[in-house]
Amino acid sequence: MTNQQMGKSRKPFVVGASAPFSALKRILRTSVNLRGGWALIRGTWASWLQYRSFFFILAFGWMIPPLIYLLVWATAAGGRAIGGMTRGEFVAYYLALILVNQITYSQTNWTVGDLIRYGQMNRLLMRPLHPLFDALSSELAGKVVYLAFDLPVVIVLALILRPEMHLTPGNVLAFLPALLLAWALRFFWGYWLALLAFWATRADALLAVQDSLVFLLAGQVAPVALLPGLLHSAAVALPFRYMVGFPVEILTGQVDPVGLALGFAVQLGWLALALGLSALMWRQGVRRYSAVGG
Amino acid sequence: MRYLKLISLFARASVQEETAYRANFAIGLLYSLLNLGTGVLGIFVLFGQVESVQGWSFASTLALLGVYLSVGAVRSLFIGPSLEALAGMDGDVWSGRLDFVLLRPVDTQFLASFRKWRIFSLFDLALGLGTLGVAVSRLGQTLSAARIAGFVIALAAAVAILYAILLAFTALVFWSPGVLFTWVFDGVFQMARYPLGLYPGWLRLLLTWVIPVGIITTVPAGMLSGASSPGALAGMVGLAVVLVGAASLLFRFGTRRYASASS
Repeated sequence: MTNQQMGKSRKPFVVGASAPFSALKRILRTSVNLRGGWALIRGTWASWLQYRSFFFILAFGWMIPPLIYLLVWATAAGGRAIGGMTRGEFVAYYLALILVNQITYSQTNWTVGDLIRYGQMNRLLMRPLHPLFDALSSELAGKVVYLAFDLPVVIVLALILRPEMHLTPGNVLAFLPALLLAWALRFFWGYWLALLAFWATRADALLAVQDSLVFLLAGQVAPVALLPGLLHSAAVALPFRYMVGFPVEILTGQVDPVGLALGFAVQLGWLALALGLSALMWRQGVRRYSAVGG
Repeated sequence: MRYLKLISLFARASVQEETAYRANFAIGLLYSLLNLGTGVLGIFVLFGQVESVQGWSFASTLALLGVYLSVGAVRSLFIGPSLEALAGMDGDVWSGRLDFVLLRPVDTQFLASFRKWRIFSLFDLALGLGTLGVAVSRLGQTLSAARIAGFVIALAAAVAILYAILLAFTALVFWSPGVLFTWVFDGVFQMARYPLGLYPGWLRLLLTWVIPVGIITTVPAGMLSGASSPGALAGMVGLAVVLVGAASLLFRFGTRRYASASS
């Protein structure tokens, strides 16, 4: 390659680098239009705020169902204990559940189905990176935004409602891996359901069924220990309790050592199945995938 | 008369629009049943542990759920879709299509309230009324004609209050487009699934006087179980009249602020 050629090939780069500089100069020269600049700044800021309020509203909506059951059970308990739980313990259980539910809820599962349906998966498939990472990254970003809303609210609720919690180092230590596994289980369980969109156009109906089952069996409508007969056995055997209720029960000290070991075993078993199904769905599905549109 | 004709026209157009997507029908059926199932099981679990809470038994709480489902069904039958088309995401206020609504030779509020229908919600309404029927038979009380009349009046007032609140939230869009007020309201409205008495005092006041969501279900259900006094019914009807009037005023002010979109 001659020097001249190199110079040529470098030229656009040089132009590119100076472009923002000249733009800045132009802005400075026409700085009379301060009003326009200010309007732009204000507009951008407003649109960010608007997005944030959008996410806050979502987080608010997700918080309401556990909050309702917190208040209902706390009132029902009154001065006595129901199923061995006092009013303060119900409050502690549900406040922890609000946070755990938010941390493990994976909103991205809903978008994965949309990406496949509308053919926007193309963009992700072109990247030298598994599309799973795209879901995981927005998952993480979402958690930060949602928790920024949830944490202050839960703290205020804790000040008003006076929870009763006996934290032990052992419980906290067991809680953290349980929480991580719960998130992984809920994410991959939803992921393989969402990947059914490769075959069926309205697979998101299954996600709605999953949300209802989580509501009933994962400890939202009542702590799993308080569920009547058949519902209780279903809750212990099916994966949903291990997505939300199990870590919460550990933190509030409702799980004995045997239950803890058994719980972790069931949790890991369902997680392994969810991972296997996700991998299988992906391999089979992506072969079937033919993009929609351009 | 002319308005009734228009309503039936709107409804027919909506049916034609809706039946084009038949798969959505099955999905909608599934969602309705899930909603009913989780609601009933929630009450079932609670009253499996306790006999009654603050004077509310299984049967009377079930009646309240029936009211909640029925009122919610009427909402999603026409109030919700119509107002959503105005103020929701990509709604008329945002896109500027409200120009065409304002220009029509009919009352704007009427048009905004009855424009879009979701006929499928009649199924939800049937489920809600069915739940009410089961609850009444479980209550094991003989209902006098006066009490049934009181219940029907309370139910009508409940729909009117819900409509007024939603209209007011919709009108707020004229001041601040983009903030999804109705979404916030959806969260709060869920609280009406349970009787007011089951919430702590400060929240009870909030749900009675600030956003009167609690009244919508508690008073009609109380008419059936005998927990609501005639005074509560009178108060509810009064509140409905005041709220509908105030919301209409707010809506009128709002439309005056509307300045179309861009260009």
